[in-house]
Amino acid sequence: MILRPFEYVESQTVDDAVAALRGGGDDARVIAGGTALVPLMKHAVLRPARLVSIARVPGLADIAPATSGGLRIGGVATHWAVSHATLVRERSPLLAYACARVASPTVRSMGTLGGNLCYGESASDPAPALLALRATVRLHGPGGARTVPITEFFTGFYETALQEAEVLTSLDVPAMPAGARWRYLKWTPRAQEDKALVGLAAMLVLDGHRCRVARLAVGGVGASPVVLARAEQALEGQELDEATIARAADAAAGEVEPMDDLQGSAEYRRDMLRVWVRRVVAGLAEGRAS
Amino acid sequence: MSARVTVALRVNGRAYERVVESRRLLVDFLRHELQLHGTHVGCEQGVCGACTVLLDGEPVKSCLMLAPQAHGHSITTVEGLAGRGELHAVQQAFRDAHALQCGYCTPGFLLAAVALADHGVALEGAALREELAGNLCRCTGYQNIVEAIERYLRQAAGGRRDG
Ligand code: FES
Ligand code: FES
Repeated sequence: MILRPFEYVESQTVDDAVAALRGGGDDARVIAGGTALVPLMKHAVLRPARLVSIARVPGLADIAPATSGGLRIGGVATHWAVSHATLVRERSPLLAYACARVASPTVRSMGTLGGNLCYGESASDPAPALLALRATVRLHGPGGARTVPITEFFTGFYETALQEAEVLTSLDVPAMPAGARWRYLKWTPRAQEDKALVGLAAMLVLDGHRCRVARLAVGGVGASPVVLARAEQALEGQELDEATIARAADAAAGEVEPMDDLQGSAEYRRDMLRVWVRRVVAGLAEGRAS
Repeated sequence: MSARVTVALRVNGRAYERVVESRRLLVDFLRHELQLHGTHVGCEQGVCGACTVLLDGEPVKSCLMLAPQAHGHSITTVEGLAGRGELHAVQQAFRDAHALQCGYCTPGFLLAAVALADHGVALEGAALREELAGNLCRCTGYQNIVEAIERYLRQAAGGRRDG
């Protein structure tokens, strides 16, 4: 498969990248790992005239502790790096685990966390984890730097809040509360490396049997990854008995707008989401963490 | 606009520099610019793993990577495995376990296995198959492939303990 010709610009700084993106207009694209972009170019879904690489910008792959106890993860850190970093495993095991579930090892060592999010795919594995963790996205564009809560980052089918000539520079990930129970459930009806039909991230903090904090988010079901806000509300402040958990599962199934495609019908997705919310929350309530 | 770029990298320990079109895929760079034909082209879309090489020790699909992305990095291809007249341990394990039929998928499996051993992974059975999800064998000889890699990983882990 031969690609159409394009210009390849290696950026030394984020400002370089922004300038090169502006100069290229609609025909310019950021390339980080290329695992999503290159196949789209091969199939001529995208035909960029200019690729602006941010892979070598110093510091952009760093994973660093934040003073708040959380993490700052550079946009071009690979899934492999995120899932193996001791810092991430300690402070945000949910994110480390979700990154370890992306596609196959070869794709994990090429693809980047920022690229994964900017692609805007619903069935992203890290996206639900970052939504559950209420991370913040840092962007840099012609107007300077800005932040967007990840809960506002995914705006539609393969659409994000990323504006023209903007680059995702890093993510701020709050630390998981002490004693938090978590799980990322990737439901793929066929093979392991498939995309999630239901990618459910869950984090609970319990006081005895009472749920103090509930964070649930899902990818693969609707047009974009989303927080399951009503399901969270149905759990918080409640004793986690069977009836409460069933109510939360119903709330989750009711608040999504599932896609209908060859992987599964909308009803199948809705039903599987209900099933997995119930099983995952019940498992966490019983102490079967992660 | 310049659609050509200089790509300088190391492959199997040797330095190379070529000026190529920026659209050149790494797999085509290896095969056509460097005449290293051991890296195979299968699906060309990141699914089959026939094109797997190591980039700074990490397994990557060279059909999904543009040559300029590999600039400045170190690549290992199947040609870099065997020593002078001697098979690499993973190649020997494949031979012993009869783990190849047509051999088309083999270079990719070999490098995927080397990456596992280098990371100290010593998996077996289902867990190993999961790690190998990015490599397909069209002749479907998975049983022997998995057995060969299990043997090799055990041996590599033993070597680490003894050494
Ligand atoms: S040829 Fe690269 S994954 Fe199939
Ligand atoms: S041995 Fe023929 S494809 Fe694997």
